[in-house]
Amino acid sequence: MIRIVAVKFLQAVPVVVIISILAFLLLSLLPGDPAVIIAGEQASPAAIEQVRKQLGLDRPFLEQLTIWLLNLAQGNFGSSLILHQSVLSAVVERLPVTLSLAALSISFTIPVGVLLGSVAAYFRRTWIDSLVMTTALLGVSIPAFWIAILGVILFSVQLGWVPSSGFVPISQGAGPWFASIALPALILSLFQIGFLSRMTRSAMLDVLGQDYIRTARAKGLSEWRTVGKHALRNALILIITATGILLSAAIGGSVIIEQVFALPGIGRMVVQAILARDYPLVQGTMLILGFTFVMINLTVDILYTLADPRVRHD
Amino acid sequence: MSRCVARRGVVLALSLIIGLSFAANGSVEAQQPRKGGTLVYASVSGPGTLDPYMASSAVELEVIHNLFESLVTLDARNATRPMLAAKAAASEDFKTYTFELRKGVKFHNGQEMTSADVKASFERYRRISPAAKNYEAIDHFETPDPYSFVIALKEPNVVLLDTLKSPIYPLMILPASQKDKPARDIEVIGTGPYKFGEWVKDSHLVIVRFDDYVADTGAPGRDGYGGRKTVYLDAVRYRFMPEATTRIAALQNGEAQLISSIPSELSARVTQRKDLAIREVFPVLGSYIIVNSQKGLTANVLIRQAIAAAINVDEIIEGAGGLNKRNPWMSFPGTPYYLGETAPTPWYDIKDPARAKELLKQAGYKNEKIIIETNSNYQWMRSTMLIVAEQLKAAGMAVDVQITDWTTNAAHMQQGTGDWNLSTTAFGPDHILGPQQWRPMIYTFPHIVGNEALDKAYGEFFVAPTLEARRASWLKIQKEVLGGAYLIKIADTGRLSGYSKKLQGQNDYAGVLQLWDLWLE
Repeated sequence: MIRIVAVKFLQAVPVVVIISILAFLLLSLLPGDPAVIIAGEQASPAAIEQVRKQLGLDRPFLEQLTIWLLNLAQGNFGSSLILHQSVLSAVVERLPVTLSLAALSISFTIPVGVLLGSVAAYFRRTWIDSLVMTTALLGVSIPAFWIAILGVILFSVQLGWVPSSGFVPISQGAGPWFASIALPALILSLFQIGFLSRMTRSAMLDVLGQDYIRTARAKGLSEWRTVGKHALRNALILIITATGILLSAAIGGSVIIEQVFALPGIGRMVVQAILARDYPLVQGTMLILGFTFVMINLTVDILYTLADPRVRHD
Repeated sequence: MSRCVARRGVVLALSLIIGLSFAANGSVEAQQPRKGGTLVYASVSGPGTLDPYMASSAVELEVIHNLFESLVTLDARNATRPMLAAKAAASEDFKTYTFELRKGVKFHNGQEMTSADVKASFERYRRISPAAKNYEAIDHFETPDPYSFVIALKEPNVVLLDTLKSPIYPLMILPASQKDKPARDIEVIGTGPYKFGEWVKDSHLVIVRFDDYVADTGAPGRDGYGGRKTVYLDAVRYRFMPEATTRIAALQNGEAQLISSIPSELSARVTQRKDLAIREVFPVLGSYIIVNSQKGLTANVLIRQAIAAAINVDEIIEGAGGLNKRNPWMSFPGTPYYLGETAPTPWYDIKDPARAKELLKQAGYKNEKIIIETNSNYQWMRSTMLIVAEQLKAAGMAVDVQITDWTTNAAHMQQGTGDWNLSTTAFGPDHILGPQQWRPMIYTFPHIVGNEALDKAYGEFFVAPTLEARRASWLKIQKEVLGGAYLIKIADTGRLSGYSKKLQGQNDYAGVLQLWDLWLE
């Protein structure tokens, strides 16, 4: 097991390196000059050039890339041009917000998505199946931005259940934290619930048609044990894979949600950084997020191995 | 001294965000001020820096102007009035300016402000600020005593005080201890009525009442950015909410008592509530079509004038949305450099495609494409340029509309880079102060080179000893800029802000957010 984890970890290293180079390349293609933004709008060409030199933007592209990679190797992600702090500290400051959002949305998604998908599969080709799948289709189709605005108007303005925006750290109490993050997480989970319920239905339909399910029923096992224990457990492999994808999607999807709900998370920071051409911040954040996604996939692979003994023998 | 802006204030936007005014019905509130409470103000985004010498965006300035003060400032009519200086006087030859400082003024760290702090502030400003070139003509400073400060110039400058009162890249007075601090790296210590509390990036910023604030007792009450300032609120909490819907929701459910920038199409959500009100803050900016005079077709004045002749202002105003009013001048009505009801040139809102075609013919136009650049960040800019494109087509011009992001668009306009003939932006609020603030924008955005008449008019302006003489020079400047269609004026624009009627003490001065003399019922 340890060997498998080590191998998978080593396989992830080149992926992270490629991500870092891609981040650098993509950003270098963007028009716009960070030196102009930093120097100020009325700055003289000489002042702009001075800033460009300070930032190393006057150096050849390959030299800039080499310096960036060498710094990374030493754990130096650089400093943000607009926040005037290290990229790592900027990301770490905002990580609790994005992680809270992603984790809570996943905690909504998994039970609801699996339950709905299982119910739809069990009652396949009935009105229940149609209702669940239509709802799931809506979930994956409705734009998050639009539903978020509706959510604010309904739950915050009309019902007054939750604040309209802002984030309360969990250190200030679980209740206020939950109130500040519940609605954004719920909105973020709608798409994911739709996605996971469809995946679960498909996996469950496949499993429920297997011989061993028929055998279990013939032996007189209750439906609850047959479906809940035997079928769902075997469908779990597909669900684990889907959850990994969903967690990555939740972090990606947080950009829009953080914007609407004014949450000081990583997604919002990246948008501002791109607009301001804050190269180090965008590159560093992309790299950290890339690394996070790689780690999620690695974890999924390990869970997959644990859930399915056949994978270990492979 | 001015700059280009986006109308809805993001990282690069510059505008007068909020000018607190009378309630919507126009009645003056007569309640007795009440001390205490925290005002929550929902703004579009957080500041990038609180270093005043590097600050040009509205979201920065609306914090900074409550924390720091300058030697002179704008009064309610945008004329110069003293603030930290009790008196300011120029020598007859306009080469020496002497400031008598107010005594007993305290910084937030408890130290008294003296001429040493003023001198250190000027020196730091000249070292780091993007607007330092405004003070290149300074030869040296003198501090004869702790309350006297003298600026000696290499050459006469009749508008130095006008420059000093600029609310953008404001020359606020900092403690001398900040003199050698790098840009954006100061301790936030000023003499303003509020002091710095806490700042959680992307979330909120808090400023608290400075109990040792020394008000200008020489004034009967508040006056523009200056006068006698009184602080009733315990604190102000700025919350950063990029989405208008969220800001409105915060106002509706009581999370905020004041919000910025409401799109006109959403204003009914506020007006339908009896406990809330909406206010037109006007004028805030002036919107213009920028014509790149160094780029291909539009280097030809006849082509530029043909474009001007094709423009229908009313169509643009209707299509772009928001709060707009026609004004052919480059200054707002009621300001010292506003020159009257008639237009400075015959080129405003001609909407005459036939004349445009005639000018194109004279120019030898052969259906080459006029490249219009706009951005996806600001709807009003995009709408404006799409309408302009149709108007130019109707006048027989071939156009190519290119849409980029605001950062790129702004950089292209300011640096003359990129492949564009026309673009748009809005200027303000600095240009309300006068032609000296307009100058960098006039030359930079349309990239005017080698216009001797314009150079001469500006040369006259800077040595004109009286306001009347300077106004005459300003008329010549506008005739050159608008008549040569380097800039094509669209309209003066404003914005809508929302507030709870619990918030009292607002006045009608449309300056950057001023939080003194306000209280919560």
